This record gives sequence, structure tokens and C-alpha cells, in this order.
Amino acid sequence: PSPTFDFLLRLLPTFGSRGGGVAMKRGHEVRPALSGAGEAGPGGMAAYPGRPGRLQRHLLSGEFDQLRDFTIFESNFVQFCSPSILSLISDLWPQVTRLGEVANKVTMGVAASSPALELPDLLLLAGPGKENGHLQLFGLFPLQFVQLFVHDESRCQLKVKFRTGRAFYLQLRAQPETRDREFGQWVRLLYRLRFHSVQGPVPFTQE
Amino acid sequence: MTYAYLFKYIIIGDTGVGKSCLLLQFTDKRFQPVHDLTIGVEFGARMVNIDGKQIKLQIWDTAGQESFRSITRSYYRGAAGALLVYDITRRETFNHLTSWLEDARQHSSSNMVIMLIGNKSDLESRRDVKREEGEAFAREHGLIFMETSAKTACNVEEAFINTAKEIYRKIQQGLFDVHNEANGIKIGPQQSISTSLGPSVSQRNCRDVASNSGCC
Repeated sequence: PSPTFDFLLRLLPTFGSRGGGVAMKRGHEVRPALSGAGEAGPGGMAAYPGRPGRLQRHLLSGEFDQLRDFTIFESNFVQFCSPSILSLISDLWPQVTRLGEVANKVTMGVAASSPALELPDLLLLAGPGKENGHLQLFGLFPLQFVQLFVHDESRCQLKVKFRTGRAFYLQLRAQPETRDREFGQWVRLLYRLRFHSVQGPVPFTQE
Repeated sequence: MTYAYLFKYIIIGDTGVGKSCLLLQFTDKRFQPVHDLTIGVEFGARMVNIDGKQIKLQIWDTAGQESFRSITRSYYRGAAGALLVYDITRRETFNHLTSWLEDARQHSSSNMVIMLIGNKSDLESRRDVKREEGEAFAREHGLIFMETSAKTACNVEEAFINTAKEIYRKIQQGLFDVHNEANGIKIGPQQSISTSLGPSVSQRNCRDVASNSGCC
């Protein structure tokens, strides 16, 4: 596997869940020893070997040429407003919850911009487009300017906080039988990212 | 929706000049006076019609702050068009244009069409950069020039569409290889060159369009 592929293998050492998605870089095979019951892809995120997630498929469609080869770890979420902190979302994201509005679907993924990197360095956010509901990429953010927290583990909720202060909350959308495992993979990811960041290993919300 | 071509645009320029507001005005036809600082890249898209052809504009709105610049410049590659924006009320944003232009030219195709935009033209009383200075800079560097107001929507449509017209004109002249994705142009799904290229696109000068629009 490529180094990019390797980071996912190191990042997510257990396998076998549905939901979420880690797609392989084209031309790479899943290592059989790492596939759970012949179903899971690297990191156990894909239901079928190499089956890309929605965001990965969107990028593979070819409109984002530069991002097409990214290996993405992704999951689907619903955005919600924290009771204490209202969501502040870019005006360029029309489908994402703004103040007081109903929750909306968000697909969030992480990727490494270079195969040489051991950890992902980019956060990708996408959601339904306002015209046709098809998935639309909203933004690409360097992870060095983003902090990810576990907001409420029992509810599979994450907090995404930008260096600018903008923050919002996401609750994992996944099959009940695999949701905990998939969320656990995000928790491991957060630990990995935090251990390698200057902020230190605090993946849970610190207000 | 199908389209004949997809053009990748980048919007670049100093922080606070109104890049995200221009995009929001173009894609959503609204203005948001208070806008969170952009980090990384945010995306917008809109279909436009050029000479009877549907063209999808895929717009990469980049962070203007210096600390993000080394990251965002890596996304200039493969852009067919660039909107280089300064704020007519802040002289320093005009002074930094050369640096932005060097960056853009260094990290993208030499054929990239660059539209210089003096934004915030509604703030005439606070003007710090004369229109003639913008025109002279554009002339000197081979750019198209317009003054816009993301707040009033003045010339915003024209800025994006005239850039697309110029790219389309270059395609027709054979200056862009549409099969080379590094040029920031993609042929739409189920399109071929023969069907994509329609009759000659209007050769109308973009500056003429700008000056004729009359709102700025």
C-alpha cells in the first residue's frame, strides 16, 4: 500500500464495520489480512473492499481533479446546535444549519494531501447541494487550523472548532449495529491527531 | 445538470477584500456584511450560459490571510480563471497585488485568465485607490479589470461571466488544450469537442461590458 494508505491502516487498527468509508487509492488492493470477514476495507470502514464513501465517490467523479486521488476517511453526520453554543457556519454552506434552523446532513472526511504524510492534514466537509440535493463539497480545511473534539460519546457527537473560533456540532449517522464502532474510529483518529499536535492529547471537549 | 464545460476559478487577494462576499453574491445573490474568516478553501458553483453553452463555474474561494497562503497557493494549480481582488478603500490591498499575481502565475497555467477586481465600489466616499490606477495595473499586466460591489451586486455577475467569456474565447482560439486538466477546463459529461464548441463567442471587450454596465 502507498504511504497514504498506510496512515489509515495505522490510524484505524480494527476492522469489520459498515458505514463510514475509507476508499482506496486507485490501483491499490486491500491487504487480505486486514479485511474483516472479507468485507471490510482498510480501517474496517468500507462495507466492501475498496468501496468508496459518498465523498470519495464525489471526488472520483472527476470535477475536482486535484482531490481525486485523496484517500479519505469519512462518515455521514447530522449537524445540530449545541444548547450552549449556537452554530456559526459559513454563509457559503446554505444547507448546513444556521442559527435556529433544523439539523442538516453533513459528510465529513479527513485526508492526507501527500502520500508522504503519516497522518491526515486536511478536513473536508460536504453536504447536499441546494439545487438538486447531490453531494457538494463545501470546503477543504488544513487540520492544523481545526480542532476536533468528542462532544458527547454516548450520542456519538463531535465538535468541530476552527482556529477562527467558528464551531459546530455533528452527530454520527450510521446503522445502529455499527455506529459505536464507527464512532470509535473517529475517537481514535482524534487521539492520533491530538497526540501529534501542539495542543496535547485532549480529544474530548474542553470549554 | 449537464454542461459543456467546467471552468475552475480561484479567488485570491488580501484578507478582508470581499472574496467570500463576491462568491456569495454570485452563487446566492445575497450579501452578508459579517463573514467569518476563511481558512483553507471554500467552494461555490454556478451554471452560466456563454454563447448558448452551459458552463459550470467551480469556484475555489481561498483564504487571504498570510498564514494560510503557503497552503492555499497549492490549489492554484489547474485553474482556468482567477479573480484577483483588492479593496478600493484600502491602499495596502492594492499594493500587494504584485505579490499575489506572481504567486498566481507561478503556480498555475500560463493561459489562466485573470480578472483584476477593485471591490467595495459602493464605498466611494472612502475610496483610497483610483479606478485609473486599477485600470493601469491591469493594462500593464495583461489582466481584465472591473470594479465591483459585493454589497450592491454591481458588476459581480459581469466579473465572473466576463472571465468565463474570455476563457471560452481562448478555447475557441485553440489557446487552451481542453484535454489537459492542468488548464482547469473539463469537458462536461457526454460532451465532445465538436458539440462543445458552438458558434463564435462574442468578441466583445470585457472592459467595454464593465464600463457599459454603468452601476459602478
